[in-house]
Amino acid sequence: MKHSGLIAASFALPLLIWVAVSYVPGLWQPYTLITDPGGVSFYRVDMLVANEQFASQLESARSKGLPLPSGIRSNPVYLPAPHDVTRALYTSFTTPPARRSEVWFHQSIGHSVSIIFWGFLYSCLLGVPIGVLCGAYGPVSRLFEPFVEFARYFPAPAFGALAVAILGIHDAPKIAIIFIGTFFQMILVVANTTRRLDNGFIEAAQTLGANRVRQLLQVTIPGILPDLYKDLRILLGWAWTYLIVAELIGTSSGITWFITQQARYKNFDMVFAALIILGVIGLLSDLILERLGRRLFPWQRQNDGVR
Amino acid sequence: MIKQKFLALFLILGMHGTVLAQPLTIGYSDWPGWVAWEVAIEKGWFEKSNVDVKFEWFDYVASMDAYAAGQLDAVCMTNGDALVTGATARRSVMALINDFSNGNDMVVAVPGIDDIEQLRGRNVGVEVGFVGHLLLLQALEEAGLSEDDVNLMNVPTNETPMVLASGQVDAVVAWQPNSSQSLKMVPGATAIYSSADVPGLIYDTLAIAPESLDAFPEKWAKVFQIWYRVVEFINDPETRGEAIEIMASRVGVEPQEYSKLMQGTKFLSQSEARERFAATNDLNSLQGSTELANRFNLKYQVYSESQAIEDYMSAVLYEGQ
Repeated sequence: MKHSGLIAASFALPLLIWVAVSYVPGLWQPYTLITDPGGVSFYRVDMLVANEQFASQLESARSKGLPLPSGIRSNPVYLPAPHDVTRALYTSFTTPPARRSEVWFHQSIGHSVSIIFWGFLYSCLLGVPIGVLCGAYGPVSRLFEPFVEFARYFPAPAFGALAVAILGIHDAPKIAIIFIGTFFQMILVVANTTRRLDNGFIEAAQTLGANRVRQLLQVTIPGILPDLYKDLRILLGWAWTYLIVAELIGTSSGITWFITQQARYKNFDMVFAALIILGVIGLLSDLILERLGRRLFPWQRQNDGVR
Repeated sequence: MIKQKFLALFLILGMHGTVLAQPLTIGYSDWPGWVAWEVAIEKGWFEKSNVDVKFEWFDYVASMDAYAAGQLDAVCMTNGDALVTGATARRSVMALINDFSNGNDMVVAVPGIDDIEQLRGRNVGVEVGFVGHLLLLQALEEAGLSEDDVNLMNVPTNETPMVLASGQVDAVVAWQPNSSQSLKMVPGATAIYSSADVPGLIYDTLAIAPESLDAFPEKWAKVFQIWYRVVEFINDPETRGEAIEIMASRVGVEPQEYSKLMQGTKFLSQSEARERFAATNDLNSLQGSTELANRFNLKYQVYSESQAIEDYMSAVLYEGQ
């Protein structure tokens, strides 16, 4: 791996910035965390005040001869320090459910993953065949694509209430949102990939007397498979971006419930921990699929991926 | 072959659909008066009393949507929102009063502004058309001001702490946990008015679908009895700590943080709640409070037809005791 240094750097850089902003005094830290209110009547321990505000109160306490307040420089609550997030990451997994009806953190994540899985599966089962047909046959394309081009601008969350009315309050409406969010794009992307297949293959098959069905099954589909696989990998990432809106519909569940609830109570270390987990799951699954792709389509190796 | 595959696909699709609901399904969300149901759930009181109910945890707005879509038999909502949901989608009957807000809803102002009168000509961030707006109007009226004397800015309640901290407004109106977050984020900010000044402006209730209340009176009566077991459990100093622990865990915060939110919520005993069903014109009754909410909703065109208040409430569960 000749680029492994750069790959490491691509993660190290943002991490370094985060560490610097969190720990290097004076680099940012626009707030002061009160450790001792001193003589300032409205200060409380653990209160966050702007540095200038603190400076002026310190000055006025000094001039009035009151006990001086003290505090440490700190960042806004929205940017927790790396060690807080690491601790949150650890405790979120190790804290057992406190109530009978509660689940472990990894079970919440598993629930979210299953929503993505089913939504994406249904989307593939319908979207891929339609996309291939659109790409292969002009009339099919003209029948489907104009409407799909129109429908893909529909914001999937707008269908939330309708999905609940039809499909209930549990997983089904959430799966439906993932489906709506990926299905229309999938048709267009797959159709485009199908169209890009080298026309020489089709012409050769026609010359050899293949009928339309055989052209499709034995030339077009095998020909586009590696690209189709790549498309689906990208579209799967797309499905993940719909997870948060999908899980807000119906009963609160999965990792979204965790993120929105912790954000509401301003526990941003927990929120960051959850975001990191989402990123790790996405990245890992994509890496695995990429490796798998290389196994499945070894002839594509030369022009696949970043060079 | 193809037919079989399609059949299989439909079977998979069908698995995600809901089975026709047999137990009573109740939607609840993050407000202390409703989170309290968690005590009964955790303690297994419904199973022990042989009542087949299923509590479903939602975001507040999502729970009202699910009720409106006909997916729930009952939902926990405020009296004002019961009117809105009824006028726009599906009527409900408020048959149980959990609590009224007693300080959890606040007008939080930046330092230097100590009372409502000083808001004259200032910017106030509030979610227009919701309970916070109602609270603000009440506050202005008491101070001899009207809405025209302040400059309203429409702000989602979830964002009020950030908006107040940004310095773009001089006050915000919010309920918990956003109200205490607003206080925390702006040094010296104070609550210049709160629902404790107008107890009874916002009642939190169990709003039941009229057809379900009619069809399963015994089941609802048992749910009703269990609720008052919960209230006793919360009000008993011996068990209050355990109750708060269960509730805090439901919303994912530390118990000591949660106990602060409990103070702004007035849990009503069975007899206190019964009295609130009397017909009065002031905020001491559910009717008077709902009447006010109805006028407010009409004025701000949340809906266009005045609602028949008496259709929205029933003391039938209290009378059966």
